[in-house]
Amino acid sequence: MPEVAVSVSGLGKWYIVNENRFRGTLSEKLGRMVTAPFRARTPSAAGAHAMPNAIWALRDVSFDLETGKVMGVIGRNGSGKSTMLRILARITTPTEGRALLHGRVGALLEVGTGFHPDLSGRENILLSGTMIGMTPAEVKKHEDEIIAFSEVEDFIDTPVKHYSSGMFMRLGFAVAAHLDTEIMLVDEVLAVGDEAFQRKCKKKIRETALAGRTVLFTSHDMDSIKAICHSCILLDHGKVVAQGGVAETVAEYQRVCAA
Amino acid sequence: MTQTFEIRPAGKQSILDLRELWQFRHLYRTLVWRTLRVRYQQTVIGVAWALLQPALLVFVFTIIFGRLAAIPSNGQPYPIFVLSGLLIWLFVAQAFGQASISMVANAHLITRIYFPRIILILTVITAALADFLCAFVLLILMMLWYGIMPSAGAFAFLPMLALAIATVFGLSLWASALNVPYRDVGLLLPFLVQLWMFLSPVIYPSTLLPEKYQFLYALNPIVVVIDTSRWAFAAGPPPALWMVGVSCVMALLFCVTGFWYFRRQEATFADVV
Repeated sequence: MPEVAVSVSGLGKWYIVNENRFRGTLSEKLGRMVTAPFRARTPSAAGAHAMPNAIWALRDVSFDLETGKVMGVIGRNGSGKSTMLRILARITTPTEGRALLHGRVGALLEVGTGFHPDLSGRENILLSGTMIGMTPAEVKKHEDEIIAFSEVEDFIDTPVKHYSSGMFMRLGFAVAAHLDTEIMLVDEVLAVGDEAFQRKCKKKIRETALAGRTVLFTSHDMDSIKAICHSCILLDHGKVVAQGGVAETVAEYQRVCAA
Repeated sequence: MTQTFEIRPAGKQSILDLRELWQFRHLYRTLVWRTLRVRYQQTVIGVAWALLQPALLVFVFTIIFGRLAAIPSNGQPYPIFVLSGLLIWLFVAQAFGQASISMVANAHLITRIYFPRIILILTVITAALADFLCAFVLLILMMLWYGIMPSAGAFAFLPMLALAIATVFGLSLWASALNVPYRDVGLLLPFLVQLWMFLSPVIYPSTLLPEKYQFLYALNPIVVVIDTSRWAFAAGPPPALWMVGVSCVMALLFCVTGFWYFRRQEATFADVV
């Protein structure tokens, strides 16, 4: 019996754009500041219509993802892909709807999370690894692999502020790629560096995805999507335009992009 | 065993989720290590700064307040009198000053990974405690130099240190959460912290204050902490018990209201910071 690892229903989030908090007199502002904690902090779905400058970054997204399956999340820039992954990574909270995640969640959404310029490459491996959810013991265990993958062996004890941007990103990716959780949220924009290293990144991401984990995978590269995904969801302006089989959804994406 | 969690719109949260904090203990440890490591990175004398900073202040304060202004010092040499209070004050000022900007200073983490944001405050306070221990070594050296034995007050010192930590923690919860949408807080605080120092008996003995203002004085929990430190390691009367009581209530009030406000705002940090 297939088990559901990620279950999302009616997920939505709105942002208030161009909110001018510097309008109004000082006393009005202080008044609002004092009453702020007493007002409802949770923007209600109904409240959005009263707000002329509220936009839905994501609306009515629902899907179930079975354990061990890879789902592609595609869409143009600003379609809500990142917002969705950020909600599932618990970085930000949704306005409405809910999601259930069964298992440890790891997010590879950014390269070099938590890197500190003054610390050495080796120290940053520990720092970044712990921040994205590994235990220090896990980081130590993978340290040699991470260093080898990053190809910065010779400079591993140099502060990363002296790194070239390429070295910095390679090390950042190497740390993130060795995160090992049951559910992974992966943004392929993560593939960094020159062409050779990008190929290596993509290969690593595919290995991760194919190792029996549950993966939510976002990419602009349809070849990657076709190569590893079992199903696909297409977002446009925060709404689900198509979901289901990979071939049909990708075809729909190409239509959206052409339009 | 797999863990399950549910993502829902921000709503009612428990005021303190200890189980979750425990899950993030590695992150806390690493952040403390980072804070201390980065602070003394690329310095010539390294951790010795934690000793040198209070030493230099004691020197300056002794000349200005002890000699020139001739402020009384409970019958002890001014250097040890001022250090026994300064030690507490430096901890409070450093921990509170850095904790109050900790959300904004770590915006790059808040917008990229999830963790209980309270960990940032805990990190700053822990790192400040490490510096406090170094300054404490300086106090011990000075006690040896002047040949001063600690009094019975030394037994009250640790509980009083806990009171100082609670005070800093509660106020940091408020300040750091307010600083996210209102950066005014970060600009106003250095001034308020300065003022707070003069409202605490750091450079002068608390006995200097007229009796009728003692109640107002007790509202600042740092007063009884410093008085206990003086009583224990330098010279001075122990703080009145009723003052200790009022200070404990104040610290508790800061913590409870601070937690309540912080937890309400926490979910919005990543969007607002």
